[in-house]
Amino acid sequence: MKILIADDSRVMRQIVVRTLRQAGHGGHDIVEAENGKQALELVQSEQPDLVLSDWNMPEMTGIDCLSALRASGSTVKFGFVTSEGSDEMRERAAAAGAAFLIAKPFTPEAFDDALRSVI
Amino acid sequence: MAIHLPQPKQLKDLLTDLLGRDVTLSPSTPYAPGLDEATSIALYVDDHLNIVAVIACDLPFSAHAGAAIGLVPPGGAEAAIDDGKLTDTLAENLYEVLNIGASVFNVEGADHVKLHALHPAGMPTDPMLRLRVLTLGRREDLAVDIAGYGAGRLSVVLT
Repeated sequence: MKILIADDSRVMRQIVVRTLRQAGHGGHDIVEAENGKQALELVQSEQPDLVLSDWNMPEMTGIDCLSALRASGSTVKFGFVTSEGSDEMRERAAAAGAAFLIAKPFTPEAFDDALRSVI
Repeated sequence: MAIHLPQPKQLKDLLTDLLGRDVTLSPSTPYAPGLDEATSIALYVDDHLNIVAVIACDLPFSAHAGAAIGLVPPGGAEAAIDDGKLTDTLAENLYEVLNIGASVFNVEGADHVKLHALHPAGMPTDPMLRLRVLTLGRREDLAVDIAGYGAGRLSVVLT
């Protein structure tokens, strides 16, 4: 499957890719975005099967990106990978249409649990 | 509500998970970097943009943590320590460590805190910012050893 990873931190995108592999989800086609605006554009042009997005990013936040996607009719599977792991954030994520929220720092097991629900 | 002072166990768990390595923490004397000492200072703000906490790291911890999170070989960290400043990559990586580090403040019932800025070790820092590191009171001063890399110092100070 094709997975779009949106995070303004290059090292965090590397870690997400590495953790996917450690969680037994290696070998997927990976596309990277540096912010929500770029992610929004790449969802249209690349048609990924899943978006893994940070919450706080410049240009456009992850939650704004998700809202824009849903408003445009996109049903792409979308999960947050963020240091904002409070109940309030989880509720906002779910209400906006996110399938899961993985809190940083994360383990390969947390990735596997979340991804098995959508893959 | 109030700002939560992170416990050493929280910091140990965070660093262990984030760096994917064994991390040993031990109490240390209050970290008081001099004007000439390379120090990384991370500023944390509440939802009204008030500076409510700082995390100060000496150059060795800054370099080791920045290298470990990005799988930079230990030699890369040692070179930065010898050079007296972080490379752009190590600074960027340390930013992410301290960005995720905000999660140790955000426990149930405490004010929400997020990273506002990082002044990486080796760059000139505002003396007023350094003064915040010297604040006594609610703080944790720790010696931190990252397995495979090395030891350094990290202090969390509520301002």
